Amino acid sequence: MSTADPNGIKHTIRSFILSSIAVPDLDDDANLFESGIVNSLFAVQLMTFIEKTFAMEMGRDDLDIENFKSLNATTAFVLRKNGRPSG
Amino acid sequence: MVEKREEFKAFVTLNVAPFAEQWDRDQQVPAGVISQMAQAGYLGCSLPPEYGGQGWDIVTFGLLNEAFGRASSALTGVLTVQAMVSMALLKWGTTEQKRRWLPPLAKGEMLGAFALTEPGAGSAMQSLVTEFTGNSQGLVLNGSKKWISCAQFAAVFLVFGTLGGRSVACVVPKDTPGLRIEPISDLLGFRAAGLAQLHFQDVEVPSANLVGKPGYALSHVAPVGLHYGRISTACSALGLLRGCFEESIAHAAMRKIGDKTVGDMGMVRSLIARMGTDLEAASALCHTACRAEDDHRPEAFEKTLMAKYFTSRAVVRAASDAVQIQGAAGCHGSSAVSRYYRDAKIMEIIEGTTQIHEDILGKIFVDQAGRCGPLARSD
Repeated sequence: MSTADPNGIKHTIRSFILSSIAVPDLDDDANLFESGIVNSLFAVQLMTFIEKTFAMEMGRDDLDIENFKSLNATTAFVLRKNGRPSG
Repeated sequence: MVEKREEFKAFVTLNVAPFAEQWDRDQQVPAGVISQMAQAGYLGCSLPPEYGGQGWDIVTFGLLNEAFGRASSALTGVLTVQAMVSMALLKWGTTEQKRRWLPPLAKGEMLGAFALTEPGAGSAMQSLVTEFTGNSQGLVLNGSKKWISCAQFAAVFLVFGTLGGRSVACVVPKDTPGLRIEPISDLLGFRAAGLAQLHFQDVEVPSANLVGKPGYALSHVAPVGLHYGRISTACSALGLLRGCFEESIAHAAMRKIGDKTVGDMGMVRSLIARMGTDLEAASALCHTACRAEDDHRPEAFEKTLMAKYFTSRAVVRAASDAVQIQGAAGCHGSSAVSRYYRDAKIMEIIEGTTQIHEDILGKIFVDQAGRCGPLARSD
């Protein structure tokens, strides 16, 4: 998938999150990790999904809750990262 | 794939199976067999060639663990923890950490151990009390770890604890002053797996040894290691399950009772039918999990939980039935199934207990129902 289309990226990530947690819909800025709606595997599953879907690799430098705390934050992270290999 | 399976079987038949009972009695695996595994490239088989590994896919890694698990659950533990440490470092290590630690791990010149469990924190990872504090020189580590597989022969430990209230993971070499390794013996099973308790007293380690960022050790670093640990354990349990099955059908076919064989008895056939079907189901679950990991699919984590959950429970049933089929002979140390029986129970405890798996998988399945809405009921 292209890493230049913000709407497409957000739609793709939203679909994954909604397929992973028991909520009918998701506010773009809802904090996923403070809400208690995700299971203990969600963090690594979301990471794996992003790596596979957007053909990028995450590493130590990407470990920041600000990158993944919400749908908007995750979308912005993918746009920023834009397929660059991790350090 | 077939060639690899045959290679693994030949290695195990020659170097492992004839000695596994003695290792169990000695509560120790000799260094020689670990060197042979290293020379064969098995200890770094899933690491990329750029670090000296074999770059094998996870399906092949699973076959390796199954082959070793068929003969010695304890020795397979070396493959398990080596993968746990190596893959966590590969994913979250800095460039310098990977350059320093991965080549010796890949070549088997160095064995790693995954130091997560504590005397008061097993399944409850959030309860870790092992603590790192900072000083002008780096970090100071205090605390203890327990039930650490392969700790008796590991050269380096990936130690989990807290730093300023945040979870951290840190590489600690065995020869660091202040680290004392206390062997644990007389376990129910996995008696040759070199378990130990680790005592850290004012152990000084460089900050550069922290793996991942503070605050992410339990959410990201440990889950990667545990994921590979579960793949390894599931496949090792599959090998043990195959051992129970093969010993049972051989006994059932050969052992005479009057003019009939044990296998002519319907009750024995029932036990073997369940065992053989569990074997097929477990094999399918393990293969599915390995394939999902090779495809780098997010569901690989839950597929692996299912494989480990099912296979570890199935092997406990199978080992119990294998002893039952052999009767008194199965209760004696001269019978392989008596060891299988003891090792099988450990499979339900390591890398997450059965109950932890049920808690996680149960939530996943209930959440799936929640996403689909209430199920329609037919009256």
